[in-house]
Amino acid sequence: MSATRERMAALKARLEASSPAPPPTPIEPVLAPPRRVFPTPKTRNRFAENAAAHTTALVGIGHVGTRYATDVILQFQAELAVAHQAVATELSESFAAQHALLPLQSRVTSHREFLLRPDLGRRLDEASLARLRSQAMKGIDVQPILADGLSATACMGSGVQLLQSFIRECEAFGLSVGTPVCARFARVWLEDEIGETVQAKVAAILLGERPGLGTGDGLSAYLVHAPKLGKTDGDRNMLSNIHTRGTRPEEAAKRLAVLARAMLEQGTSGVSLDLGKLAKELGDSGGRGYRAPQERVRLVEVPT
Amino acid sequence: MSVLVPIVPKVLAVRRLPRAAPALLLAYGADPARHVSLGIVTCDQDDPTYVALDEATKHAAVDVIFARSFYAGAAHSSGRNSGEIMGILAAENPDELEHGLRAMLRCLEHDACFYSADDAGSVTVFPHVVASLGRYLSVKSGLPEGEALAYLVAPPLEATVALDAALKAAEVRPVMIFPPPTETNFAAAWLTGSLNACQAAAEAYAETVVRVAMEPRERWNR
Repeated sequence: MSATRERMAALKARLEASSPAPPPTPIEPVLAPPRRVFPTPKTRNRFAENAAAHTTALVGIGHVGTRYATDVILQFQAELAVAHQAVATELSESFAAQHALLPLQSRVTSHREFLLRPDLGRRLDEASLARLRSQAMKGIDVQPILADGLSATACMGSGVQLLQSFIRECEAFGLSVGTPVCARFARVWLEDEIGETVQAKVAAILLGERPGLGTGDGLSAYLVHAPKLGKTDGDRNMLSNIHTRGTRPEEAAKRLAVLARAMLEQGTSGVSLDLGKLAKELGDSGGRGYRAPQERVRLVEVPT
Repeated sequence: MSVLVPIVPKVLAVRRLPRAAPALLLAYGADPARHVSLGIVTCDQDDPTYVALDEATKHAAVDVIFARSFYAGAAHSSGRNSGEIMGILAAENPDELEHGLRAMLRCLEHDACFYSADDAGSVTVFPHVVASLGRYLSVKSGLPEGEALAYLVAPPLEATVALDAALKAAEVRPVMIFPPPTETNFAAAWLTGSLNACQAAAEAYAETVVRVAMEPRERWNR
């Protein structure tokens, strides 16, 4: 190596060691970002707008290039998170006792097993069966059952309110109501075994429904006439979306009592139950006309 | 920071004329009586080539009969073999020419070269110290053979600031100052003094070019 190259290498090492960082250059004032970073579409699709007015489904939400807008994606993720959390929630063992309900449990022993084994969630375990036989009223018209289902959040939220309203409405119709029970790790068909055991004419299970986007607090109710093991979904009548933004619990309780009375009068349930006469009492839930979509809760705030 | 990385010059063409025509020799400023064999070299860096031509005169009985930089540098050369400079060594004896060319190419490969002065390599500096002048540069500079010479080249503004630093850094005196623009639009200076002084001046020059390249727009309170 030449003398000059050696000296330059040494100088390079020295300069690098001292690392003479230049003083920061003054920054020009930064302009405020645009308030909305994606363009609002100038042309609107009337079909999409009409469709969107009928549903809470994600239609007519526009796009930015080939992608969804940021607020749509954030809203979707937030709603999915609500649904996930609702499914993951577990009903506490003390919940039944706190609300003076007869505690029951299916043959499921853990929350994970509950999700993986629907068949076990449809049968009562031995202890519950014994408790039900010894403590519950027998030979009644309606057996009300509160259960967690796939959303313990909904059950703990407005479940008790719906149960009490339902009992009150049934009694107002002069029906005899059985001992209210609360079942853990329950699937819909658990009402068959419970109703059969207490010899009820109608069994009604009110349970948290499988959450949709953003609705972790929805309850469903399934009614079956002459409950016994082996009844199918064709034998049941149900009401879903029971939450503050859908059918309110008080309103739902009225309709369920009407259904229960109709079952007792007609001696059947499910597809063979004639709902035509009940249109007035069931309100718009019996009809097929236009229904405004339920209100969508904004979970994410995006400046517009 | 990766500055002061050597940028090795590319020798683009080397051709020998064992027996050049006298008219050609005269036209290129040679003496047909003494200069018979020619060695012609083009390179993409002019100043290392001047140093290398001088180096050749120290190793063999050769003369530099022609050495000119081309206008606006290698980036605007007239062809892929033109580069930035053409230098011609001449000798009476082809063997001497051979030795001289070898010394010149060795110098270009291992010694004289530009260095990067910024990360992008768009500012370069040539802070070379010729420890002992050969016949070519001693004639050019008017110094006796064997003197030390700091051969300093940089772009115009960097060169101007750095020359000031070099002159103040050591006991050196200016021999020649080439203000911009030269043929290649650089600016250059030849300083002399003791070998140590020349080296100190060259180092100060290189460091200053690097610092100016880092902050070309000095800040002051306006």
